[in-house]
Amino acid sequence: MFKKLSAAVLLSCICTFVYAQDIDLNQMLEEEQKKEEKDKIRYTEATFKSTRIINGHSVEVTQKGIMDFRIAHRFGTINGGLYDLFGLDNASMRMSFDFGLTPRLMAGVGRSTYQKQYDAFLKYKILRQSSGKRNMPVSLAVMSSAMVQTMKWTDTSRPNYFSSRMYYAHQVIVARKFSENTSIQLMPTLVHYNLVKLAGDPNDVIAIGIGGRQKISPRVSINAEYYYQVPGYKMPNTANSFSVGVDIETGGHVFQLHFTNSRGMTERTFISETAGKWSNGDILFGFNISRVFTLKKNRKK
Amino acid sequence: MHYARLLMVLFICCSAFVQPLIYTSNNGLVSFRSEAPFELINASSKELKGALDLSKNNFAFRIRIRSFEGFNSPLQKEHFNENYMESEKFPEAVFNGKIIETIDYSKKGKYSIRAKGKLIIHGVEQERIIKSDLEVTEKGIRIISQFSVLLSDHAIPIPRVVKEKLANEINVSINTELYAK
Repeated sequence: MFKKLSAAVLLSCICTFVYAQDIDLNQMLEEEQKKEEKDKIRYTEATFKSTRIINGHSVEVTQKGIMDFRIAHRFGTINGGLYDLFGLDNASMRMSFDFGLTPRLMAGVGRSTYQKQYDAFLKYKILRQSSGKRNMPVSLAVMSSAMVQTMKWTDTSRPNYFSSRMYYAHQVIVARKFSENTSIQLMPTLVHYNLVKLAGDPNDVIAIGIGGRQKISPRVSINAEYYYQVPGYKMPNTANSFSVGVDIETGGHVFQLHFTNSRGMTERTFISETAGKWSNGDILFGFNISRVFTLKKNRKK
Repeated sequence: MHYARLLMVLFICCSAFVQPLIYTSNNGLVSFRSEAPFELINASSKELKGALDLSKNNFAFRIRIRSFEGFNSPLQKEHFNENYMESEKFPEAVFNGKIIETIDYSKKGKYSIRAKGKLIIHGVEQERIIKSDLEVTEKGIRIISQFSVLLSDHAIPIPRVVKEKLANEINVSINTELYAK
C-alpha cells in the first residue's frame, strides 16, 4: 500500500509540474516558424533598385505588367569650364519605354539624340538568387540589344545599306546580393559591328563589365560601373567606360545622378566608343529618371 | 488506502485538466488598409500563427511580413518590404500577452475581450490593449479583431513625397480560428 501511495504522490507531483510549467507561446511559434522557413524557397528581391546600374543593364527585369518610362541625360564634359557651364550646354538624351512581359522577361525600345540612334532589347532572367529549400548563390540574366544609327550617310565610297548601320550587343549578367546593402554583378559583353570605320577595327568587341551598389539608406544607394575592353578585341583609340553615381528612390520614381566618361547610352556607344578619359577631366554629369506605370492591375488575392 | 484513493482522484482530475490547454492556428488571416487622400492600399496574408494557453489566458501571434500580398503594384510590395518594414532586418510582427477577462472556455458563445500585451512591428515595441471578439465554437476558438496601428508609433517614417498616398493610421483586421493542439 505504501508503494501505491508513494507512486500516486509521485504521479501527482509530475502532473502538477506539467500543469505549472510556463510555456512561452511566442517562443513556441517562433520555433515552428523557423522549421517551416527551411522548407520554403526565399527569392532575393531588389538586387538593384533599377534595371540599369548607370549606363548598362543590371540583373533586374521590369516586373510583369509594368511600363517603365525612362529619360536619361548626359551633359558635356565638365572640363569645358564655365564657357559651357561645365558641360550643361551640351546635353544629349535618351528616351525609352521598357515593358515587363512576364515575371522574367522584359523588352524595351529607346531613341538617343546622340548619333540619332534607335535601339531595342530583350532581357531574360534565367536564375534567381534564393535561399531556404533551394540555395542559388547568384541571379543570372541574358540581355541582347540591337541598335541602329540614322545619321546622314557621308561615306560616298560605300553604298548606303541599312545593315551597315546596325550594331548588336549581347550580355550575360551574373549578380549576387551579398547583404541587404551590397550587391555586385559581372557582365561579360560582346558588341558586334556590321561595319567598322577602318579595316583594322575589330567587328567584335569583347568587354568584361563589373558593377555594384552600396545602399547608404533605405532609399539611397551609391552605384559604380566599369567596362574593361579585352585587349585584342578592343576598339582602337577608345577608353574604358567608368561611371559612379547615386540612386534615389521616391515612390514610383528612381532618380539616378552620376558622373561618367561616356556620352552614349547604348551598349555600343558606351562600352566600345567611349572617347573621354577620367584622367583628362573628360567627365560628364548625367541623370536617369525612371517612372513606372502599372498597365495591368495585380489581381492576385 | 484512503489517501491513495484521494490522490488518484486528484491526479485524474489534474490530468484531465492538463489535456487541451493550448490552442493554435497556422493560417489565420491578417489584412491591412491604408486610406490616404490619393491612394488606397490593401494587402493581406493568410499566414498568421497564433497560440492561446487557456489555463493562463496567455496568447501569442506572429506574422511574417514578406507574406503580405495584394498592394497596387509589385513595385509597391517591394518598397513595403525594402523601405518601410525593412523585412530583412525585422522579418516578423509579434503580439503577445494576456487576455484581461476570465473566460469560461467550456461554454460556447461570444465574448468581448481585451488583449493586453506587447505589439512589436518594425522592431519597435508598443504596449497595447486590443479589443477583440472571441467565440468559443464547437471545434475551436475564433478570434476576430479590428484595430489601428500608427506608423509613427513604430518608427516607420513617411517621406514627404508620398504624404498624400500613405496614411499614418493603418487599419488592421484579424480573423483566425484556433484549434486544440
